[in-house]
Amino acid sequence: MRARTTSRRVAAFAVVGLLVAACSGGGDITESGDDDGTTTTTEPGQTLAPTTTVAPDLLPDCPTDALESATGTVELTFWTGMSGPLAEALQALTDEYNASQAKVKVSLVNDTYEGTANNYQRASQDSRPDLVQMPEYMVQAMVDSESTVPVGKCIDSSGFDTSAFLPTALSAYSTQGVQWGMPFNISNPVLYYSKKAFAAAGLDPDKPPVSLEELREMSQTLVDSGVVKYGLALDSNFDGGGGWYIEQWFAKAQEYYVDGDNGRTNRASKVLYNNDLGVELLTFLQDMINDNLAVSVGSNESGQDDLLKLADAEAPAAMTIHTSAALRGALDVLATGIFPQLTDPDLGIGVMPGPDGAPGALIGGASLWPVDSGDPVRIAATWDFLTFLVSAETQSQWATDTGYVPVRTDAVDVEPHKTTLATDPRFRVAFDQLEASPDALTSAGPVVGPLSEMRVVLADAIARIFEGADVKQSLDEAAEQANNLISSYNTSNG
Amino acid sequence: MAADAVHGARKAGRYALLAVVSVIVLFPIYAVLLQALKSGPDSFDHPRSLLPVDLTFDTIRSAWTIGKLDRLLLNSLLVAVAVTCGVILTSLLSAYAFAFLDFPLKKVVFAMFLATMLVPAEVTVLINYNTADSLGWVNTYQGLIVPSLASMFGVFLVRQVFLQVPGELREAAALDGLGHWRFLWSVATPLSRPTLGALGLFVFLGTWNAYLWPSQVITDEDHRTIQIGLEHLKTPNDISKLNLITGGLVVAAVPIFVMLVIFQRQLVRGLTAGAVKG
Amino acid sequence: MNRRRLRDIPWAVLMLVPSAGLLAVWTIYPLVRAVDYGHKQCNRTLTECRDVGWGQFSRVFQSDQFQDALLVSVKFAVFTVPTGLVLGLALAMLADKHIRGIGVFRVIFSSTVATSVAVASLVWFVLLQPQIGVLADQLSGVFPSLKEPGWLNGNDTALPAVAISSVWAGLGFSFIVVTAALQSVPRELHESALVDGAGSFRRFWHVTLPMISPTLLFLMVVLTTRALQTYGEIALLTGGGPQTTKATTNIPYLIYGENSLIRNDIGLKSAAATLLFLLSGVFAAVQFRGFGKRVHYGS
Repeated sequence: MRARTTSRRVAAFAVVGLLVAACSGGGDITESGDDDGTTTTTEPGQTLAPTTTVAPDLLPDCPTDALESATGTVELTFWTGMSGPLAEALQALTDEYNASQAKVKVSLVNDTYEGTANNYQRASQDSRPDLVQMPEYMVQAMVDSESTVPVGKCIDSSGFDTSAFLPTALSAYSTQGVQWGMPFNISNPVLYYSKKAFAAAGLDPDKPPVSLEELREMSQTLVDSGVVKYGLALDSNFDGGGGWYIEQWFAKAQEYYVDGDNGRTNRASKVLYNNDLGVELLTFLQDMINDNLAVSVGSNESGQDDLLKLADAEAPAAMTIHTSAALRGALDVLATGIFPQLTDPDLGIGVMPGPDGAPGALIGGASLWPVDSGDPVRIAATWDFLTFLVSAETQSQWATDTGYVPVRTDAVDVEPHKTTLATDPRFRVAFDQLEASPDALTSAGPVVGPLSEMRVVLADAIARIFEGADVKQSLDEAAEQANNLISSYNTSNG
Repeated sequence: MAADAVHGARKAGRYALLAVVSVIVLFPIYAVLLQALKSGPDSFDHPRSLLPVDLTFDTIRSAWTIGKLDRLLLNSLLVAVAVTCGVILTSLLSAYAFAFLDFPLKKVVFAMFLATMLVPAEVTVLINYNTADSLGWVNTYQGLIVPSLASMFGVFLVRQVFLQVPGELREAAALDGLGHWRFLWSVATPLSRPTLGALGLFVFLGTWNAYLWPSQVITDEDHRTIQIGLEHLKTPNDISKLNLITGGLVVAAVPIFVMLVIFQRQLVRGLTAGAVKG
Repeated sequence: MNRRRLRDIPWAVLMLVPSAGLLAVWTIYPLVRAVDYGHKQCNRTLTECRDVGWGQFSRVFQSDQFQDALLVSVKFAVFTVPTGLVLGLALAMLADKHIRGIGVFRVIFSSTVATSVAVASLVWFVLLQPQIGVLADQLSGVFPSLKEPGWLNGNDTALPAVAISSVWAGLGFSFIVVTAALQSVPRELHESALVDGAGSFRRFWHVTLPMISPTLLFLMVVLTTRALQTYGEIALLTGGGPQTTKATTNIPYLIYGENSLIRNDIGLKSAAATLLFLLSGVFAAVQFRGFGKRVHYGS
């Protein structure tokens, strides 16, 4: 009896101890304990000499003519972030390349972006691939990994002509004057809307909103007409309304998102999104929700809850903002007729509405990074494959297969994408708004080491704002946490 | 007479209860199966019909081809069979040492073995990826199989049975000149067959269903197991494949379900044999 | 005796080497390395590390995120362990009767063993989808929260919804384990109790329950460990969300999740994972100490 009560007391103690510990404490998990991570803050607009200078001489060379000295077939491995139909389309292009010549044979290893980025960073030098596809948020981390051959070096040594490329596509993957990655698959957010709902509410189904004011006015009209329950469906996913879209709006307004000129001239050390523009944007969205003009579908775990809201039988929305990369799939599913209230021709695509209706967009998607294997022949073979992937013909095929925006302007004049655009102008919207981007550093978007984690932090804050939290305070808290992430990253990787 | 009636009513009551619980337990599977067996438009109608009418194998068929499920099922089968055989072998050997041999520090070694059960996979996968990488085992079958070949659960279960083998049997065998090796294979192993069966089933299920480690060590399509393949059927931004996942789920669950129906008795009997106090 | 001890050594080494070698390489070594990384800060490619001291463990433990995640882990265990235990026992009792057709019911009750973490989670993901899921379609009249915001998106409903999926998936295992234990209760004990005129409830309380208590303790420890280490369900169902409260971000998800802030930081990850290991040990010890004495280990 005695023994029993004692041991029970011990057990109770242990549990209480844990709970007490659970109640005390505090602090942010990413806040580093040591203070040597001092941050240098740069005022936006103020141009300083770069804090870290990239010396082009020290970067690995790209011996693009070494392929001629190859004996036998060079086998290359290409790690991608493509899955499903996207992976199939890329496999088809790779097969075409492998069949077209005998010197190089490429095999793909497909995973998600997250998975590929993770696998690449933890792989030992020997197990790295020859070419890796990296999403836009990985630029700074890839530069810091010091493991790749900058494609700029290859462009220089081979005399590759980039004049037909979209300027924003190239600038997105360059910092401090070095072209690091080669843009390959581009998407950006566009407005998906129901033309049927627009027509029923008395709006012109071919004139979607362009400015935020119009977005609100048309939402009001749509809701008042009783055609839909909400004007706009929003999400707070870090790759959507919770992070990426905010970066887009900053670019449209030509404001920097992080310091160091968006991290393009200096290594970024803090975020700027808790400024007037950030507060204004999120107050606008919060008001839309409060006034029942917009609804948030939350973190959008399935990646398509916002689109499904357009086809919702009970409480539909008329518009949502979503990546252009989903357009092909969305049209395919609507064409099957499983949603009687929204069929293929009912879906309209417009530019992403933004402050003052300013044009432009940041590129999303991914770029290609040749890995520095130290073997000139492999590097040259990788470059050969790369030039195939970004040729006008390949890009035209790729864009038609997937719905991605081609990286070069001449691809839209080549078949099959020429016909695709002529028959369905909806595919043109993402390309046009990218081409309309102003010629400014803000159009290249932020580069900063932990950008992906920072998007999560901001997304959580935005989710709270959508549920009614104070805008300025939420943004300040997110900014503080993001700055911790940046300083900890810079201390270990800078 | 009256007692019979009471008995009958109680029996009917038990059947009713059994039936109701069965419906609740099976409903999620039924609903997904139904969704997988309906054609596109029917699978999302509103309000949803829960009757099995107008069934088609279209969804399952396209999940099968798009997800390359035949390859994934073969991978899972290969890995699960290899791990099951390996675990039975290593468990038999270690359990024999702990049950029939006498050596210094035996209790300490056994306690250390037991302690490894507490180490969460969350701790080990982190480093094990690097180990597999340095061995060149990423995206290989040995990478999937070898790290799972030792199971403390197996050692423990088999040891429990071995401990019940009467000491006199071992003594008598020793007198007959039967060495440890022969005794293990010709006496101890046959005696523990029911438990080995249950262990084998559990290891097979556990390996077939494993998620965390396969998702780390396999990054290509060729070596993916069915569990990892399922996640790839749930591709975001591809609204047209919404229903594909249900087809994949059915394919992943059916073989195991069939196995369960066949071996359910053995599973319980094997555990009963091992569960007697030790 | 002594001679035998020495004579057995070569055999012991031979027979223990396969398991011991595997456990050393794939369990002990990574544990040691994780503890080591736990007081370091490394760059992303792990080529450069610097020592930041053991204080990193306490900083991680005391951080808001870890404390929140710990609370979620504990809550999840509280939701799932007693429920899983009681349901497993109830189902096993219900099916522990030699009547016609009982085999069919036993197969049904153990059927969720056939579902993996991935299958079970995706089944519930499909069922609970707020726009087109069958539960929202059928039951949103009774539970409007199934539709808006959807159980997996609601701050109060997300963790219970994950718990439902997890308990359902674990039901088959609990059922099989308890059924095996029930069948090993000697018939004579029941019969003598019956002769003594004990009612069915008293028979359960005084005969059955004490006899299967070691199994129930084992089951409880297994379910608790599993609950604390739950990862796949969270990753597939909620992604640690809803975002506003992180209501389903438990410790494993804090470490590995797609939305984890420390997923690229091996130092913080290792420290958090080591703490998870220690906590699992503490919980297991607490259960053995707290309940071990009440367990009946045979006559």
